[in-house]
Amino acid sequence: MCKSTFKKATAAFVLGVFTLAASLCTEVRAQETSVDPAATQILKRMTDYLGSLQEFSVHTQNTVEDLLESGQRIDSDVAAHVIVKRPNKLLSERSDDLAKQFFYYDGRTLTLYDQLKNTYATAPASETLGGMLDYARQSLGLVVPAADFIYPNAYELLTQDLTSATVVGKAVIDGVMCDHLTFRRPGVDFQIWIEAAAQPRPRKLVVTDTGTPALLSVTTLIDDFNAAPGVPDTRFAFVPPIGAKAIPFMLIE
Amino acid sequence: MKTIVKIAVLSLALFAMLMADVPGMQLVPEAQAILGVWRRHARRWAVVGTAVAASTAVAASETAAAENMAVAAQHPAASEAPAPQHAVAAKTSAAPAHLAAGKPLPLGTVVAALPGGCTATPVGGQEYYYCGGNFYRAVFQGNNLVYVTAQPK
Repeated sequence: MCKSTFKKATAAFVLGVFTLAASLCTEVRAQETSVDPAATQILKRMTDYLGSLQEFSVHTQNTVEDLLESGQRIDSDVAAHVIVKRPNKLLSERSDDLAKQFFYYDGRTLTLYDQLKNTYATAPASETLGGMLDYARQSLGLVVPAADFIYPNAYELLTQDLTSATVVGKAVIDGVMCDHLTFRRPGVDFQIWIEAAAQPRPRKLVVTDTGTPALLSVTTLIDDFNAAPGVPDTRFAFVPPIGAKAIPFMLIE
Repeated sequence: MKTIVKIAVLSLALFAMLMADVPGMQLVPEAQAILGVWRRHARRWAVVGTAVAASTAVAASETAAAENMAVAAQHPAASEAPAPQHAVAAKTSAAPAHLAAGKPLPLGTVVAALPGGCTATPVGGQEYYYCGGNFYRAVFQGNNLVYVTAQPK
């Protein structure tokens, strides 16, 4: 009697394990290759909308996850305010516990100014926003807040090498109904929340580095979106404050 | 009883084999970070002060490597860039030995904070900081203000 109960339990256990394993694998395989056009379509609506704006400004709150050598996770926060004026002007302000930096681009030169140390570096820059962002990132190693959304070809960059794109569903971010999308590509997963409205503004972005087991993310909350900041061109040109020290950029070889 | 244990072990082994197939659990991770995923060890450690100048040098170059990888992933054409950057990281990490010995550092060594007792020393209109037998220049390495050993001209 007892033996037969054990046998039944064992059979149930084995069946359970098989079912679980099979469903897990099927699910993962299905995710591996599925790019849902509905997801890329919503993404494209957003990038097209941003690309169509002659100027806009956003405030972003970024949380960067990090691991101490002990394995303890520590987050650091960076706030940024970015003003974009097409075709070729950008001004951003980055604040965290250690620095307050301003980034200026007026269509001819780019400048990074560290306010706390009253120090700046200037370099000649491309006449196009995309060219300038490429140079800043590739040659100077600069992080320009929200750069991924500012590129004129943002859609192509974001959808490069996608292995998966999914519409998760709706979500409310900061009181606004959004479409929640997830994307995968080798080494990185990202999630984007886009306003489900006539103006499809990005509201939140989570980028997860899947290249390491720690799966650390950078989370960006976007608020205070302004499609008409009305900033005069002169604001994008850097004028060194009194006593500011000029230093060089270190080029990435 | 023994049969149950056997079956349980077998099914667990089978389960484990299947799990190994799940991409999320791969043992050899791909070293890639994109879309501006960047770490900022350098500045985190910089706050600790000059006592850990050794690790800041390493951390600073690690950050550069990480940022470089971000670039490479964003633009696949440059995907071969990370390798040389790692080589630089390895070279920079050799600096602490010199620091400990109080000897002049190789030119181009990057530290996240100046060692104690450095004095501003302008040479030919450029500002240098001198201490411990080394001249340093302030530069922006990415968004971080760091100091590099240099030969005043």
